[in-house]
Amino acid sequence: MIDPGSTPMIVVALLGTVGVALPLISVARGERGSNSFYAAISLGALAAAIGYVGYQAAAGNVAPGALLSADVVSDDAFGGFFAIAMLAVAIMTTAGSINYMRRMQHHAVYYSLILLSAIGMVLVAYSTDLVMLFVAWELMSIPTYVLAGFHKRNPSSNEAAIKYFLFGALASAVIIYGISIAYGLTGSTNIAEVVRGFAALDPSMVPLALLAAGLFIAGFGFKMGLVPFHMWLPDAYEGSPPPVAALLAAGTKKAGFAAALRVVVMGAVALNLDWTLALGIIAVMTMTVGNVAAIMQRNLARMLAYSSIGHAGYILIGLAVAPFSATGSTGAMFHVLNHAVMKGAAFIAVAGIVTTLAVTHLDKLKGLGRRMPITALGLTVSLLALAGVPPLNGFWSKLVLFGSAIDAGSASAAASWAPWLAVAGVLNSALSLAYYGWIIRKMYFEGEEEKRVRSEPRSVVAVMVFSMLFMVGFGVYPDPIIQFAEFAAPAFSAGAGIVP
Amino acid sequence: MGNELVDFALVSVALLGIGIYGLAVKRNFIRMLFAVEIVINAANLNLVAFARFLPHSGGQTLALFSIAIAAAEVAVGLSLIIVAYRMYRNVDVAEFRSLRG
Repeated sequence: MIDPGSTPMIVVALLGTVGVALPLISVARGERGSNSFYAAISLGALAAAIGYVGYQAAAGNVAPGALLSADVVSDDAFGGFFAIAMLAVAIMTTAGSINYMRRMQHHAVYYSLILLSAIGMVLVAYSTDLVMLFVAWELMSIPTYVLAGFHKRNPSSNEAAIKYFLFGALASAVIIYGISIAYGLTGSTNIAEVVRGFAALDPSMVPLALLAAGLFIAGFGFKMGLVPFHMWLPDAYEGSPPPVAALLAAGTKKAGFAAALRVVVMGAVALNLDWTLALGIIAVMTMTVGNVAAIMQRNLARMLAYSSIGHAGYILIGLAVAPFSATGSTGAMFHVLNHAVMKGAAFIAVAGIVTTLAVTHLDKLKGLGRRMPITALGLTVSLLALAGVPPLNGFWSKLVLFGSAIDAGSASAAASWAPWLAVAGVLNSALSLAYYGWIIRKMYFEGEEEKRVRSEPRSVVAVMVFSMLFMVGFGVYPDPIIQFAEFAAPAFSAGAGIVP
Repeated sequence: MGNELVDFALVSVALLGIGIYGLAVKRNFIRMLFAVEIVINAANLNLVAFARFLPHSGGQTLALFSIAIAAAEVAVGLSLIIVAYRMYRNVDVAEFRSLRG
């Protein structure tokens, strides 16, 4: 039985009640309620939820690492870490939407969909049963299809939603097929039972287990934006409303990594496979394709979309070397949290620019540093953090990630190729600095004639200030997050201790 | 009894192939939606068939969940294509290409 007082249940009850109540309140008030009223309610609910998760983790009421339990959800620090990252993204998205939504309709539905999607993301991180994982995955995905097409009269928003929907639906179909094979092989949908069943599998059945693992990688890879499955991603992020793109890039994508860490990595360790090289190759392909394609973009949202493909590649390094290096999964989770804030801030900055100036083309951003000083500063800091410039948080997580790859190479002869992942990562970071620097140059060193200061959306300014504090603060003093990530990271070095 | 299971698995794999083929080749949104549905139903067939030969009914429960969720997904997909049809007077995905690069 699930303990009704466990963290995920409380969060689901809280956010679910508010998420369902918002449209009802709107109907009861005859659709007259103001935009900021609904935003304030959902911000309050999200803040309470993140506070509760953080309190439970800080008070030591949760188990460290990732547990595999007989229940459908487990109250562990792994889920808590991802829950905090994704609830923070939901807060940034909600706050950043206030000004953007002012000119649109159906405010209550919009904020309610964000809340429902946040429940799905949190549950994906906590779930220890494939049925729960699938239901949570869909709860996370279905609201985002609607959100991506929320701009009903805008053809590109609709087109983005349709492409995103088709690939998302295929991804869930592939995942449920993988679950069906895993269920047929092991007779259970509990992840612990599946892992145990895979470890004791008859050798003639191993190819089928491989097929299941491959289907899981493909299904989760669609959401994560890994390279053979990434073609929908730039279109979806460019066309959907910019705050929603922040939710997609920083939130749902990270839920894919949570699911992959719990299911794919553990299952593959149990199967005792040399799957790590395959993940390493996908990682290098993903970061290279993402960064090279980003250089050629002329649209800010599209460039950030390709850059988030590149970052999926960096995070995948951590997953690939996890069995050889204890810091692999720590680095992956650390970068997940950092990337959530950095990319969220960048897309919210785009939302602010779109709200005020209605442009996303790079040539139109000339002189933005004078026209919208705080938004431009926030965008600059987040771009530098994404590139991994030293005093910012992105530097530390990349350091841990690339360090874990080098560790793995020296720790195990089977992973002698792992240091090359670090080399590829460093080269790609240097490459990414080229296009990030180009945006910064456009904003500050071009367009001298632009003198007029525009009034910046206040909610966007608030998000910018928060994320700059986060990026600079945890860049100067990263220890608390590293410790939390170490506490929360699942330990599956050499297959030890994963089977309860 | 074992052979029966193989028959079910073969049908399921055939359905999976048909679904993937449909998604890769067709450009009509409704057809692509059908293709996704075929893949989901291939998985459901697997689940129910495996549950038949296992001592508990967890697979049938999951199949029920999956059917319900697929229905919700189709509802969202159809509403998206209705909005698109009002704008383009077309349900051909190849015609939707304002986003490029």
